Amino acid sequence: MPSALKYELVARCSTTKARAAILTLPHGPVQLPLFMPVATQASLKGLTPQQLEETGCRLCLNNTYHLGLKPGQEVLEKLGGAHKLQGWNHNILTDSGGFQMVSLLKLANVTEEGVRFLSPHDGTPMLLTPEHSISLQNTIGSDIIMQLDDVIVTTSPDMERMREAMERSVRWLDRCIAAHKNPTKQNLFCIIQGGLDLELRARCCKEMVARGTPGIAIGGLSGGEAKADYCRVVSTCTSLLPEMKPRYVMGIGYPEDLVVSVALGADMFDCVWPTRTARFGNAITKYGVLNLRHARYANDFGPIEEGCGCVCCREGEGGLGVTKAFIHHIAAKETVGAHLLTMHNVHYQLALMRSVRDSIIEDRFPAFLKQFFADRHDGDKTKYPDWAVEALRTVGVDLMEP
Amino acid sequence: MEKPGIFEIIRPEDPSVLGPRLGQLTVQGRSKLETPNFLAISSRGVVPHMTPDVIAASSQIGGVHMALEDFIEKSPSGTPPIMKIPGNPLHTFTAIPNSIITLLAPRRTPAVTAPNGNSDTAISVFTSTGFQALSNKSYISSIQTLRPDISIALADLTYGPLPGTKRTVKMSDRTQEWLSDLLSENGHGGAVFAPILPIDSLSQSEYLDYLADDQAGEISGLAFYDSNLLPDIPATTSLSRLPHLSLDEPASPHHILRQISLGMDIFTIPFIGHATDAGIALTFRFPRPLPDDAVASNDTGSSVVPLGIDMWIPTHATSLLPLSNSCTCYTCTSHHRAYIQHLLSAKEMLGWVLLQIHNHHILSEFFSSIRASIKMGTFEADAEEFGRIYESELPEKSGKGPRVRGYHFKSEGPGEAKKNKAPWGNLGSDDQSAGRGLVPDENSTELQEKGFAEKVEE
Ligand SMILES: [Zn+2]
Ligand SMILES: [Zn+2]
Repeated sequence: MPSALKYELVARCSTTKARAAILTLPHGPVQLPLFMPVATQASLKGLTPQQLEETGCRLCLNNTYHLGLKPGQEVLEKLGGAHKLQGWNHNILTDSGGFQMVSLLKLANVTEEGVRFLSPHDGTPMLLTPEHSISLQNTIGSDIIMQLDDVIVTTSPDMERMREAMERSVRWLDRCIAAHKNPTKQNLFCIIQGGLDLELRARCCKEMVARGTPGIAIGGLSGGEAKADYCRVVSTCTSLLPEMKPRYVMGIGYPEDLVVSVALGADMFDCVWPTRTARFGNAITKYGVLNLRHARYANDFGPIEEGCGCVCCREGEGGLGVTKAFIHHIAAKETVGAHLLTMHNVHYQLALMRSVRDSIIEDRFPAFLKQFFADRHDGDKTKYPDWAVEALRTVGVDLMEP
Repeated sequence: MEKPGIFEIIRPEDPSVLGPRLGQLTVQGRSKLETPNFLAISSRGVVPHMTPDVIAASSQIGGVHMALEDFIEKSPSGTPPIMKIPGNPLHTFTAIPNSIITLLAPRRTPAVTAPNGNSDTAISVFTSTGFQALSNKSYISSIQTLRPDISIALADLTYGPLPGTKRTVKMSDRTQEWLSDLLSENGHGGAVFAPILPIDSLSQSEYLDYLADDQAGEISGLAFYDSNLLPDIPATTSLSRLPHLSLDEPASPHHILRQISLGMDIFTIPFIGHATDAGIALTFRFPRPLPDDAVASNDTGSSVVPLGIDMWIPTHATSLLPLSNSCTCYTCTSHHRAYIQHLLSAKEMLGWVLLQIHNHHILSEFFSSIRASIKMGTFEADAEEFGRIYESELPEKSGKGPRVRGYHFKSEGPGEAKKNKAPWGNLGSDDQSAGRGLVPDENSTELQEKGFAEKVEE
């Protein structure tokens, strides 16, 4: 099928499955691997689009479910799409809306036609079909759009349902491809399903890769499965995916998950956690998460993170030199506290992925991984998570070796 | 010894003439503040909704009003954190741009009424951990540590019903004594503004005479809790050369103009923040709408032009117009009404950020036009025209504001209504961002029309 992107491989890690690439989308190039902040309702937690741009972000996520509700397809149509709505001239990715519908509307269930739910307002049965989701995303005008898939939690014991969901997702992909009106302007990504069953995942990869979408997502994860199971699924899928296409693992954002997933061959990630957690006074740093509402920070006049290059932490020209003590002073009392932490947290995530990328290009990613885990766990190897140690061993990196 | 003035009056040539004044406030190391002008009001050291980088990049704010009560809640260590910072603690701690002038007052403006009265040595202030006494001694030492560019001396104020004669005598006695203590101990050399009490001038005549005769050379400005006192200030050269700061909470631009006509120079304007929180974009220009704006603001059918636009109104949902035509603020040059409307209706914090940027810009432009008008000698006629063209009051608020932050509001007693309505309760989530607005408000027909989903034929 046609595509509206260009994937250029820049470097491959000589040890792990990590890759560095340039992905050129309709609104400009982005560097892979990449973290995408989530601007759910066309805004990122109080940051102006200009401030978001200053963090280096060139691809953010909007949620189709939310934009479908507010402002709605008709308004989006009149405005000319989500880029126009939010004054964002860089790239946008949208999800299908199905996942949120199933998880937020209690009476939703999935049939072959689509996601059925009762209108919470008047109880009328309603339906979101693959055609519908694509039509909404066509109107939104996002640079990357996602197929509607049949998602069930990976931990579901119902294997029959799992197989049905995977096969249905393939059939819905065909309907999405057929419904997609702008294949030369918007890139449709398929979503690999199949739960934790590697056999199902492999079949799904084969079926979906054959459809030739411009990019491929690995879906249904980050739903509470064991991390080791997660890693097995990601690694199984990436081994079966074409090398010259971007691979997106949905809903992943903890720093450890990101670096391990890159080592397993994934390129793109999104998660609400870094921005949501800022609201609760949490700062992400390379030594772990700090809750700046804690009294111990009331008199801490150091930056949120020493050496951080974000607008908040930086001193001098263009930097604010904000201290932990000041964030403590306003956290949960003034929204500016959340805005400042959001700027820092988004910057942290993007900077992390930039340094991952640099290390891949310079072919020192294994050393990067060792330093990353040492920083996070104060050099104490007994604290390293087993799943990460195991997963990295499968791609030739032994965190335990001196 | 007389201190060098920080204020220069450019017009009128004789400053004792009652009328609009053009001036310039100069504080070393900060940008000059041309007057008439305003100081942004801060809360806990931040201008609500605006991060310091946004203030630097997207506002013309020249000064900020800060309240000591925002920094001194009881802490385990005893010393408030901000007091431990060397140099210029207010700027360093709050990260506001160095070009911006800081004015320190004991209390916020507007301040929450304290249940306890003041004593001979202390007033009652409201911190995030509750009411506490602030002695003049401690206020003076805070000023010496915080080194604000300007501080307002402690005043013995009552809130609520007008005080009786006995009380007003006490008010002016205490205020005089507190000011005198501050001036005699004012080692750091920062400018001090003397409060003018919100009681009739006769009741504080002794205090006013004290200012005129004994302290005019020591103080750098007058802070009015009631602007009606302006004409009653002794017309001595030494007093009239001082800048006049209004803490009178003007309710609308008309009040600002009236105060300017009486000789007010610098304002604090709570209605900017109130408008922002209410989802109202201020749109007034001085003295009349810009040519482009006339049509846009006149769509209410009334011949009187509104002072602002209620951005909650759904008709803005598809409007690609800026909040105010030919407005050059970040919000208006980068975004349109449809986005602001969407953000408000989706309860996204950015909605209030963008309104706050715009509303502060509108006030900066308002004052800039006022200065031009005074310079041209047309202020009286212009103010009269403004009064004729514009509505007398700001639009009513129709939508919900941002979440009310509890410590801003003192509970008036048991049974008081909750300030924030509970978000969607049935989703079992304590995370607002997950539970908020996610269940459609619309019925199925509306959902179908919006393109959200389709009805199923049974
Ligand atoms: Zn930072
Ligand atoms: Zn504007």
